[in-house]
Amino acid sequence: MPEKNDIAVEVKGLSKNYGDVRALKSIDLQIGAGEYFVLLGPSGGGKTTLLRLIGGFIRPTAGEIFLHSAEVSHLPPNGRPTSMVFQSFALFPHMNVQTNVGYGLRLRNMPKVEIRERVDAMLEMVGLTGYGERMPHELSGGQQQRVQLARSLVLEVKILLLDEPLAALDAKLRKEMCIELKRIQEKVGITFIHVTHNQEEAMTVADDLAIISGGKLLERGKARDLYENPIHRFTAEFIGENNVFDGHVTAVDGEGHVMVDLGYTNLTVHGRDQMPGVGDKVSISVRSELVQLVDGNAMAAQGQEILSGTHRETVYLGLTTSELVRLPNGQELLVRQLSDGSGGNGIKVDEAVQISWRTVDGRLHVS
Amino acid sequence: MGESPGGLGKSGLTNPVSTSPKNKNEGRGGRNPASSLFVRYPRLGDTAGKILFAVPVAFMCLFFALPLALTYVWSFFERTMFWMKPGFTLFSYHNFFTSARLENFLASMGHSSISVIVAFIFGFPIAVFIRRRIPQVAQHRVILLFILPFAVSEIIRIFALRPFLQRNGLVNNILLELGVISEPITAILYTPMGVIIGEVLSFLPFIVFAGFLAMEAVPKYVFEICEDLGASQYRVFVDVILPLAAPGIFAGSVFIFVNGLGVALLPNILGGPGAVNAGLIATQAITALDFPLAMAVNAIMMTTLLGLLYIGHKLFDLTKILSPMS
Amino acid sequence: MQDDYSSLWGYRLKWLYTLLVVFTLMAPVFYVMYISFNENGFGARDYVFTLDWYVVIFSDLLLLESFLNTLVLATITVVVVVPMGLVAAKHYKITRYPLAVVSLMLSPLFVPADILGSALLVFFKNLNKTFTLLGESFSVNWFDNWFDLGYFSAIVGLIIYTLPYVFVVILITMARYKDQQTEAARSCGATAWQAFWHVEFPQIRAGIFSACSFTIILTFNEYTRTSLLKGGYDTFTSVLVSQMLNEGMSEQSYAMSAMVSYIAIAIIGSIILLTLVRSERLEQVARAKADPMGAT
Repeated sequence: MPEKNDIAVEVKGLSKNYGDVRALKSIDLQIGAGEYFVLLGPSGGGKTTLLRLIGGFIRPTAGEIFLHSAEVSHLPPNGRPTSMVFQSFALFPHMNVQTNVGYGLRLRNMPKVEIRERVDAMLEMVGLTGYGERMPHELSGGQQQRVQLARSLVLEVKILLLDEPLAALDAKLRKEMCIELKRIQEKVGITFIHVTHNQEEAMTVADDLAIISGGKLLERGKARDLYENPIHRFTAEFIGENNVFDGHVTAVDGEGHVMVDLGYTNLTVHGRDQMPGVGDKVSISVRSELVQLVDGNAMAAQGQEILSGTHRETVYLGLTTSELVRLPNGQELLVRQLSDGSGGNGIKVDEAVQISWRTVDGRLHVS
Repeated sequence: MGESPGGLGKSGLTNPVSTSPKNKNEGRGGRNPASSLFVRYPRLGDTAGKILFAVPVAFMCLFFALPLALTYVWSFFERTMFWMKPGFTLFSYHNFFTSARLENFLASMGHSSISVIVAFIFGFPIAVFIRRRIPQVAQHRVILLFILPFAVSEIIRIFALRPFLQRNGLVNNILLELGVISEPITAILYTPMGVIIGEVLSFLPFIVFAGFLAMEAVPKYVFEICEDLGASQYRVFVDVILPLAAPGIFAGSVFIFVNGLGVALLPNILGGPGAVNAGLIATQAITALDFPLAMAVNAIMMTTLLGLLYIGHKLFDLTKILSPMS
Repeated sequence: MQDDYSSLWGYRLKWLYTLLVVFTLMAPVFYVMYISFNENGFGARDYVFTLDWYVVIFSDLLLLESFLNTLVLATITVVVVVPMGLVAAKHYKITRYPLAVVSLMLSPLFVPADILGSALLVFFKNLNKTFTLLGESFSVNWFDNWFDLGYFSAIVGLIIYTLPYVFVVILITMARYKDQQTEAARSCGATAWQAFWHVEFPQIRAGIFSACSFTIILTFNEYTRTSLLKGGYDTFTSVLVSQMLNEGMSEQSYAMSAMVSYIAIAIIGSIILLTLVRSERLEQVARAKADPMGAT
């Protein structure tokens, strides 16, 4: 956790209701200064609401918002040390790039010469030198987002908010812009808060991630932690391509192993400091790249879990090849591996197969 | 760039050590003293906004809703020589319902209904055509064409029908010259027919507008789907266009109907002797200084109108008309 | 024009029909204009072209005075009603009770002129009497005749008449405006007013201009409400109508009507041309960029 005077944003008990709909349910969050922080979650989960509350575009129903230790929830956007980059349509169409970027500085009555200098410097930083005279409708999507970025950064605010800034761009451009954003953030050094539903984007740019779903802050941590050791079932389903099995606890041994009954078979998993009771409903997840197809007659070795199923389909995706296996309860399981040079493994549809993973690779979720 | 305390208002911000501005409003000079006032006290801006928003609503309530509501009250007053005195009497209503005025009123309702139907038949297809076949950018301009007749005062348009439709007017002259008729037609002016013609010509643009707005509720891809499915033009019209555009069409129709009943000039100029509609009855009553009667007629008109709107709302959910505007 | 398989002749036919309808609507007016140039007036055998009748009306002092009166009414109405409509439109977008607001704003459309006029007439007369009585009870005559029929009452009537139109025109223009623009401006440090003035207004300017022109035209053309509420002086339309009712369609009436029509048509015509020139380029470029499939 960041130190007290290094906290850029602190939110306490923040809630937002629209009539009966509870868009945010009492969120507590701290974001350190200078971080690239990502709010990741499904559409409608509350992440944009949270961002807009921080930015001042919505009033909270309850709770407090502290920006660099100042309580701001009664202030409109122009009273806060934040600036927002929007998804689209946010450049002023009747002004050219230069005037757009310099708008905020003009409002401050800064001398024209100084505005010009700063605007030029900022355009250079975002890679748009010489575009000053262009009009917004003459720019491509990626260029428009860069102008927005320049417009916000030139104000030298402490916190930059980005509301799904890359959602309107195509996949390749998105990847390039992700890296651009990261580079710029590292150079400027201010706090970035970036909202997205795209996990790859999130993991590319984030120093720290928070999963927001159903109006709640579910989990928070570094990309690697959330990918390899998700705490909540939801996180496991949202990030990465994981297989998730639901069941209930049948036994817990002294070394932290938990036995789970899936209904058609039993699995063992490490509790990872969680101590569920017998009979509790839990889930187990395992990364699909850590699961392998094994010989049909193999027995479960020590430290391995095995499931039987029927092979459904092989999907070639270039870098990876996925196998879809149907389990006895109808659930489809995913096995992913790097594509090898061979033309396939020759397994036919509906052929009986077995899959296994190391017990230690499984993760237990109690919620 | 020095620091200055303006901007964050009463939040009591403690000063972190930095040389960049605390927020975006640092260094804002007094270009507009009013706006820096609103920056210092954001709440003030909110309240000012609220007051401002209330102005149109208050105005309309005071000068529109209130007088119309009072019409009902005044219709029960007693008539005096030059004015009226407060009281409660059904005299005016009795007067209206038992005189020839009632017949005329009902007759004018019939004429108005015919006008609505005729206007719809001639005007709605135009709205459909514009919406479907004309490229988006040009649509509003073509609609402007229909504002053209509207730009000419309606009284001129109504008066202008006299030399047009008269016994020795243009229409008759042309028809006589072409040999289509051997005698001038007298049935098109100073008759109910004349009133209907006048109403249709006056209000046709409104059906086009209303139809056009109503058609905005029908997305273009619907037509493409219908073509794809092989639906005939007739089916497309009846099954798709009509139901979706119904709220708008209904609103436009009510507009024409009500104006047909209410515009006194129409029967006055075009209707011939004795022709009246509700509006003319009311105006005549005022000229005769019988104010309660005028109010009574107004009240009856408004009740009819409200009744129509209510029925329409139950049938069509008139709020859908507003979708193109939000 | 032909991007699909629909019949070209059907299209042309429908266009022809549309233009025919517009022409039919305008035909009586054109005829009036035609007559106004005839020295011998209506129905005469020989047609002699002359501008004499126009000269007559321009030297008619009564007419000119009434024109001036109407001009004053129109100007004041525009100055009041357009900002009011703008505020109402903004309010409508934000309010929690949109249905109530829009019903209130649009209902004058459904109330015929005579009803509104007579109701307001009685309303103002009653207000007058009430205030005068109030004044008498305090033995002052400050309150007398506040609400006499005059400019104030006529303007109130005109505002109520034109507000729905202004409201609709501005709302339609605002529908094209993206609210993110205002948010982006606030995000750059602008107050609500600055965001409106610098960012929103330039984009809805065209609509506001249309609303102003519309209001002026409506005010000049309006007869019933104004005549009921104006009190002692004459407006252009009232002079016109009283002449026509009393003397029948005299040659001057034709010339007057024609004159008014020229002005109105000129205004609308120039708006059409202006939008033609402005939007043609911009819109095509913008739409091609935003929506290459032309799905809208």
